[in-house]
Amino acid sequence: MTSNGEVLIEVRDVGVSYRMAHDRAGTIKEFTFQFLRRQLVTEEFLAVDDVSFEVRRGEVFSLIGPNGAGKTTLMKVVARVLPPSSGRVIVRGVVAPMIALGAGFNPELAGFENIVLFGTLLGRDPDEMRERAPDIAAWAELSSFLDVPIRSYSSGMLARLGFAVAADIDPDVLVVDEVLAVGDEAFQKKSAARMEQMMEGGTAVLLVSHDLNTVEKLSSCVLWIDHGRTRMLGSAQEVVSAYRASV
Amino acid sequence: MPIYDSALARRPLISEFQNLWTYRGLVRLLVNRELTVRYKRSALGVWWTLLNPLFTTAIMWVIFGQIFGGGRFGTTGEEPYVLYLLAGVLMITFFGQALLATGAAITGSASILSKVYVPAEVFSFATSIAGAANFIISVIPLLAVQLIVGTGIPWTIALAPIPIVAMLALVTGLGMLVAAAAVRFYDVVELTRLGVTLLTYATPVFYPISIIPERLLWLVQANPLYSYLEVFRSLMYRGVIPPGWQWAVMIGSALTALAFGVWVFSRSWRSLVSSL
Repeated sequence: MTSNGEVLIEVRDVGVSYRMAHDRAGTIKEFTFQFLRRQLVTEEFLAVDDVSFEVRRGEVFSLIGPNGAGKTTLMKVVARVLPPSSGRVIVRGVVAPMIALGAGFNPELAGFENIVLFGTLLGRDPDEMRERAPDIAAWAELSSFLDVPIRSYSSGMLARLGFAVAADIDPDVLVVDEVLAVGDEAFQKKSAARMEQMMEGGTAVLLVSHDLNTVEKLSSCVLWIDHGRTRMLGSAQEVVSAYRASV
Repeated sequence: MPIYDSALARRPLISEFQNLWTYRGLVRLLVNRELTVRYKRSALGVWWTLLNPLFTTAIMWVIFGQIFGGGRFGTTGEEPYVLYLLAGVLMITFFGQALLATGAAITGSASILSKVYVPAEVFSFATSIAGAANFIISVIPLLAVQLIVGTGIPWTIALAPIPIVAMLALVTGLGMLVAAAAVRFYDVVELTRLGVTLLTYATPVFYPISIIPERLLWLVQANPLYSYLEVFRSLMYRGVIPPGWQWAVMIGSALTALAFGVWVFSRSWRSLVSSL
């Protein structure tokens, strides 16, 4: 709130509603029966209700709150994966979503092909990814596995590969779900250092974490949400201590 | 600097084709992935694409050409029955497989689409294009059979890409309709499978149109797929330019299906992506 950089993430009066899952007709057959019996109840559930905030270049903005408060939904809205039901979201610049690392990985394809595929899904040029792949693999310490289908990778190796591809982007906006504890201790240090480096380089960071110490240490501004609504918006210290007092 | 503004609405038919162009690198990768992953763990690999239609054709040739042979059923007059059959099987397989795959493409990519932003239609386009690529590979055995039975390869084959592109447009459009509905109801793809089976029998694939009674002829000819098959057969091995009405039905239905499918997809995009 002190920085006067350019606003990169603008979330204005955003609401996200879901149709409740329990009575949702999943097949045409069910739908027809429910329709004939006049049992078609559509119950709307507000996962996010009228939330506003903005994040400027160079700022780290954190979302905190209990499970099911709507943090992940908000992240998805900023990462463009979920369109808001009401309100408006504007995100300026290249976004690196450090959320679903390795979404789109194909177990049958080799490490190299998966690096290119995942990088392209994140919006990069495939030819550029082919050039970058050896460096990315080297950074993930997986160079010798580049030609092996990733179905034989361990989960730690997969996580490292996913992180390395996403971290290779030079983003304006970084969306992070939990400060990622990827791989063994040595790699965790390395990935934390890379993350800090990305944060320092003039990006706007949106962070979701349950680790209040990290949030307090890193963030310039914190939003506490509960049941989809804003409980408190303010400086990290202020909001985190209020949140701590409430739980 | 790219800007995402959630308030900017999609422009139906414009946004989708713009996205196809913007994401052409990804489309190429996804097509390659479809083609390679399919065969990665199979012993015969790409030979499946070549052998499958040949096998189906062989079965139908034995049943209709030999067992029922001598009647009006398995004969096509001047032209070799095996070519009629194989060309028909190839086209109808292209239609059925690509339609079902495109229909399942969005729900099948839900794990990606709910985590990383990619315009959903990119997966539809990539899947139908992969179907067309598979079809083109499977044309090789037809050419081989044409050489073996002695009809050769006529010059009209130069026009054969037109029915192929038309079929691609048709399955893309219909597939996107199915895909949009499949997000809401997961039995839609199964229902489509039944429809495809029905159409396979309703279309003159293994029987000649001469067995159809005069008063029902219009019904067969009203089925747009009949025109796709006939245009393809005429160009591939008959060496004849098909009649104008067949071109009109084929191109007209292809463009209508594509425009309508993409338009519906575009209009339902918001709820579609939200419920993945």
